[in-house]
Amino acid sequence: MLRFLLRRTGSLAVVLLVLSAVVFLLQQISPGDPARASLGANASRKAVAAERHRLGLDDPLPVQFLRFLGHAVRGDFGTSYRTHRPVATDLATAFPATLELVVAAFVLALLLAAVFAASSALSWPLAGIGRGVLLVVATAPPFLLALVGIVVFYAHLDWLPGSGRGDGGLGSELSHLVLPATVLAIAPALAVGRILRSGLEATLAADHVRTARSKGLGQASVLARHVVRNSIGPSLAMAGLQLGFLFAGTVVVEQVFSWPGMGNYLASSIPTSDYPAIAAVTLVLGAVYVVVNTLADVLQTAADPRLA
Amino acid sequence: MRSSSIGRRTRTLLVAAATVPLFVLAACSGGGDDSRASNAAPTDGTLTVGLLGDIGQPPDPDVYYANNGLAIVLNTYEGLVQYANDKDSVEIAPRLATSWDVNPDNTVFTFHLREGVTFHDGTPFTSAAVKVAFDRRTAVEGGAAYMVEGVKDVATPDDLTAVVTLSSPNSAFLDYLASPFGPKMESPTALAANAGSDDAQTYLQTHDVGTGPYTIAESQPGTSWTLKRYDGYWGEKSPFTTVELPIFTDASALQLAFDQGDVSAVVAALPSSSLKKYEGSDDYASYMLPTLQSALVTVNPTKEFFKSQQARLAFLQSIDQESLVQQVLGSRSEPATTLYAKGMIPGGADKQELTYDPSVMEAYAKTLPAGTAMTIGFASGNTNAEQMANIQAAKLQALGIKATAASYPTSQVFGWINDPTQGPDAFFDGNNGPDGGSPYMWGHVFWDASGGINYFGCEVPEVNAKLDQAVATGDDALYVAAAQEYAETGCYYNLSYNKDWVLAQKWLTGVEESHNIGANELDFSKLGIQG
Repeated sequence: MLRFLLRRTGSLAVVLLVLSAVVFLLQQISPGDPARASLGANASRKAVAAERHRLGLDDPLPVQFLRFLGHAVRGDFGTSYRTHRPVATDLATAFPATLELVVAAFVLALLLAAVFAASSALSWPLAGIGRGVLLVVATAPPFLLALVGIVVFYAHLDWLPGSGRGDGGLGSELSHLVLPATVLAIAPALAVGRILRSGLEATLAADHVRTARSKGLGQASVLARHVVRNSIGPSLAMAGLQLGFLFAGTVVVEQVFSWPGMGNYLASSIPTSDYPAIAAVTLVLGAVYVVVNTLADVLQTAADPRLA
Repeated sequence: MRSSSIGRRTRTLLVAAATVPLFVLAACSGGGDDSRASNAAPTDGTLTVGLLGDIGQPPDPDVYYANNGLAIVLNTYEGLVQYANDKDSVEIAPRLATSWDVNPDNTVFTFHLREGVTFHDGTPFTSAAVKVAFDRRTAVEGGAAYMVEGVKDVATPDDLTAVVTLSSPNSAFLDYLASPFGPKMESPTALAANAGSDDAQTYLQTHDVGTGPYTIAESQPGTSWTLKRYDGYWGEKSPFTTVELPIFTDASALQLAFDQGDVSAVVAALPSSSLKKYEGSDDYASYMLPTLQSALVTVNPTKEFFKSQQARLAFLQSIDQESLVQQVLGSRSEPATTLYAKGMIPGGADKQELTYDPSVMEAYAKTLPAGTAMTIGFASGNTNAEQMANIQAAKLQALGIKATAASYPTSQVFGWINDPTQGPDAFFDGNNGPDGGSPYMWGHVFWDASGGINYFGCEVPEVNAKLDQAVATGDDALYVAAAQEYAETGCYYNLSYNKDWVLAQKWLTGVEESHNIGANELDFSKLGIQG
């Protein structure tokens, strides 16, 4: 296990280095002038040229890249050209908001996945209807789901707020979380649910489960001791993958719900060529993705030691 | 100022742990405010003005050079002068200066300052603050630093007189000061106390040091801003003790919040496609207020298709201005008849002579090889410009030209000036304008390649020289001559005079009186509640 973790830590460093280089190069070849983003649209050519020099944008590319890398390893992503604040300060506000949304969506997705898988595998009444609804909803693009959610639950029913993160109180924050987290949870719920259902169905049909039942063990006991643990491995790996995708999915959902997270921050940074902000978000999300998948692998190994 | 980040990490963990049961509870109890009387006037003194998109730069008056953040800057700071409210022409009006004198050659401006004004930290406003404000603008080197570039000296013969001497004549100097981006007065005491190592730029990201009717009470950059009424304000005070400025990142969400009554007003943020719903509505108030902004067409002379003046003029003549403006922009705009913004030149002497004549382009198209390609650009996300570009491209296709409309991100658009050959053949700008009401501020930015918004670098040295000469004297005839000479290049078409579309709840009063031609924002102190 220790060797496995060390290997994964090494690969994380390599992934982040490659990611840094790719992001940096993409920024260099993308059109746009960050100096103008820093000064404002109507800035004169003379002012823009002076700003480019101040930001070091006229230095050779290798110099710029090494400077960026040198700062990044110390957790300093520079100053946003757009907000004029340190990017780390911006992320300190945006990352918790995204994490809150992703964690809520992930928990909800796992719950929905469990219900979806169990209802199918155990042939609960009305399982087909629930499955059908989930399938239909999961095929809709997230932005459309989000808009429909706002129109129905905010504009018409007035049950839930339609945008923002709330006023800081727990109740307000939770009510603001319901719609975006639900929209975000639908697709991963279906993906994890399908894998879990297959695992449950295969395990339920296995000899050892039949033997356990013939010994007179109750349904709950059979499920807990013989079915779930043997079925959960592949769905854990899928859940890890989906958690990574959830972070990416926040870009659209945060935009529609005006949720002040990293997705929104990234969406505002791209049109203005705010390189430090774009690079920082990419690196943070990249790191999160690798870490989450490593954790999923560890959990999968713990659940099924044969994989170790 | 409250800190809004206290306990965030703890709360995140709590939220994660409590998500499941509380999801159910929240959904059942309803997150909406049960006591909300939809679209009724607020009873708690809170005005809510929805912003579309993050304000971008910090609301520091010497840094901010963008759009919707002016709602904060212009309500927390004041300049010496401003443009007159509720007027559709360029007229300089008093603000912190009650009157002013200008010497005949536009080099010495004497301002007589308002008595009894204090900054939000209690410091009295005196002439000393004028020099401090001008010096800081120079030091910060923001996008609008050019406005004080020509200031040679600020003399303060007494507390209520400031004499500004310029190094060279500039008839546009009062317009610089009246511009929403013009220098604003900042408390010298507060600036010194919070100077840090960056002229208080860090402090002013989330605080203000102005004299305006409101002061920043809370900031959650990217999420919302809260302004509180400054009770020591010298001018009229509105009944709104608090102004909430929530940031929406989706126009539909903002519109729904307005419909629900959660937002009191929306200033120049919703697309034209929403006009039909609100115009003539009995439930909402819809205002079309004058601006200095226009929809423009610019042509790229570096591209093969538009190498000749004949081709450029033929293209501009093929644009059916009347129907395009009516069809796409609707009541937000009217066809432009002048080369500068509406009302910049008295009597409209800067007449735009282009007439719609598609036969000229038709004849020119016949001289081109079959399937000649060209591209008409528009800024990503600007639906009006996109529609206009598509209509024009379709017209050219009918003439056998392989015309396409293409979208470009704003950052790319402003990069073309470095290499115009990278740009499209022509560009439709849905809405653009100068910093202020002087014809120089229009001509310089749009026609001089060094100005900032001349995308394709199409310039005429003689025009630049005329503009430079005109700004010294304020000679309108010279401005007109420069405009007419530039129009001959075929690089430019002033398509429409655009208006600010302000949407407000019926109970909100004073909307027109709180708006002026230079600023796309409202002075919240002039707003009130009906009845």
